[in-house]
Amino acid sequence: MSDMMQAIAENIYQGDDTQVAALVRKALAQDTTPEQVLAQGLIAGMDQVGRDFKAGDLFVPEVLVAARAMSAGMLILRPLLAERGAPSVGKYVIGTVRGDLHDIGKNLVRMMLEGAGFEIVDLGTDVPPAAFVDAVRTHRPSLVGMSALLTTTMTQMKATIDALEEAGLRDTVKVMIGGAPVTADYAQRIGADAYAPDAATAVDVARELAA
Amino acid sequence: MTQQIPIETLHPTIRMLSDEQISAIHHASMDILEHTGIVMKNEQARRLLLENGAWESGDRIKIPERVVMNAIRSAPGRIALYDRLGNLAMPLQPGKVFFGTGSDCIYTLDIDTGERRPVTMEDIRQMAHLADGLQQIDFCMSMGNPTDSPPDHLYVDEFISMITGSTKPNVYTANNRADIEDIYRIACAVAGGELALRERPFMMLYAESISPLLYPDESVDKLLFCAEKGIPVTYPPSPNTGGGGPITLAGALALGNAETLIGLVLTQLVRPGTPFLYGMNTAALDMKTAIVAYGAPEWPTGMAAWCDLARHYGLPTWGAAGATDSKTVDAQAGIEASLTIMTAFLCRCNLVHDVGYMEYGSTSSMELMVIADEVIRDVRRIVDGVEVSERTLALDAIHRANPGSGFLADNHTLENWRWAQFRPVLFDRNRYDRWVKLGSKDMTRRANERAKAIMAEHTVAPLPLAAQETIAEVLGRRKEID
Repeated sequence: MSDMMQAIAENIYQGDDTQVAALVRKALAQDTTPEQVLAQGLIAGMDQVGRDFKAGDLFVPEVLVAARAMSAGMLILRPLLAERGAPSVGKYVIGTVRGDLHDIGKNLVRMMLEGAGFEIVDLGTDVPPAAFVDAVRTHRPSLVGMSALLTTTMTQMKATIDALEEAGLRDTVKVMIGGAPVTADYAQRIGADAYAPDAATAVDVARELAA
Repeated sequence: MTQQIPIETLHPTIRMLSDEQISAIHHASMDILEHTGIVMKNEQARRLLLENGAWESGDRIKIPERVVMNAIRSAPGRIALYDRLGNLAMPLQPGKVFFGTGSDCIYTLDIDTGERRPVTMEDIRQMAHLADGLQQIDFCMSMGNPTDSPPDHLYVDEFISMITGSTKPNVYTANNRADIEDIYRIACAVAGGELALRERPFMMLYAESISPLLYPDESVDKLLFCAEKGIPVTYPPSPNTGGGGPITLAGALALGNAETLIGLVLTQLVRPGTPFLYGMNTAALDMKTAIVAYGAPEWPTGMAAWCDLARHYGLPTWGAAGATDSKTVDAQAGIEASLTIMTAFLCRCNLVHDVGYMEYGSTSSMELMVIADEVIRDVRRIVDGVEVSERTLALDAIHRANPGSGFLADNHTLENWRWAQFRPVLFDRNRYDRWVKLGSKDMTRRANERAKAIMAEHTVAPLPLAAQETIAEVLGRRKEID
């Protein structure tokens, strides 16, 4: 059975979505639990991708192809996991802050988080503080992630945190921020819980905060 | 749609000289040979010239245009150099650019200590080994005069060290006919005989006259030897502006052109069809220090110009790039190496030597070789141009993109990123935190580590047994004579 999990992990790493879907079905048919397939197959594969990416051995497109294979597996597993009431790795609300239309960096973080098994609610770009508050109220995530590319829009991160505070929701979530002008120091100053300099680190930070 | 004719990709080139300028320099060179004349110290060459249309006037030999043009017609427009295993490695012909190291430095920057110190035979083997392991380096030269070899034998020892360290083609130097005879003997043993060596030469002699207009006996003798055997030779003079040549580049080019064409004439008189590589070195003699500046802009300017002259004659060309006057591997070294490498590509110089030269050619550096390797890869991408085709116009991808959301995860990116973008090996593009985590290393430090890694991992096929025996025999005989 561990051979099967290893095969799933390897196909995740190679980014073969068709193989991953086929192997996940096969594993489930052989009485492996969805939780086992998720942890020992899909996430194990993505973990290796994350490690090698951070070590500089993989390129972004290779990570994205792996994430796509992961999604193919999750498409099969998600309803089964929900049925069994299995806890997800974490629910994550993500968006680019008000006044900022930059999508690419935020999308990269989203895809990497999905690859790590997070359930993502993507609010898109130009997201006002009230929309973050609404999303937190509706989806009850454990994490909120904000992105900004501009020094001028960065201030909206503080406005969003303040809005969460006012709505009495700040303590229900961990807030992490990132983007070109953002620094760890700034995160601390505005009362965010964490900062990540890049998408791969964002996954590590999110995991730590969700644990 | 029926299959349509693909759009040709433009690969950028530069021209330094107009047709009118080429013609004017050519005629100036012919004037130099016919009215000024040369001084020929080699008796055999003097007789050859006089028997074939040249005449003597005082201490000068004067050569008419007809003799030069006949030689240009009989010289091959392509020189194919092989590696020492017999594989085609460098077809020197229009459009192709090959890079390699330089000859005969006095010092090397020690790869372990950074100290500038005299060169040993082991250094030469190691330089060749590194050149062998660097993908963008096509040939090697000695990069040093070894101090642990007796002066009478050092060129033979250089050659042995080079072919031990690398299978790539080499450009070698020699002191005299005795040297080149021994080198030839060893080369024949490597190639598997005289005919095999002539058919698949893996080495080229680099000899030179002395600018202005002086042809020393032994230098010409080596040139004649190559012609007798029909093996490749280059004979580039160094009319450095203000030193061996006039202070003005046009005059230096006219003189250098005249001088190198005499080398060509001699080889073609001995054996029509002898592979001869046209070229010269037009560095600047610096007016403050009197050093010959390898980083001077006159060098790439001159190189592009003599490549235009060579194209006019239909001859393959010799040049230099990837060298610097700096004493350390610093910003100056990187800039001077890059400017010359870029120019060598743009003017399509066929054989480009001196990669890794520091300190106006006095010192060699493995770090600079590794950095130049990366620059060559980088510039190769630039001259690759812009492919315009269905797959590169990517209209489907543009059509399906969400405005503002980018192409990072689009299938077109995932399918084409590997070839569509240049990926650096040595240039650092890490995010700041990761760069710090990796030790905050500058480019020289990274080049140093890469050089050591290549030397540790890269293996070179040993010399064939016959060659090893011939080397032992040659060295044994040389020892007896001592």
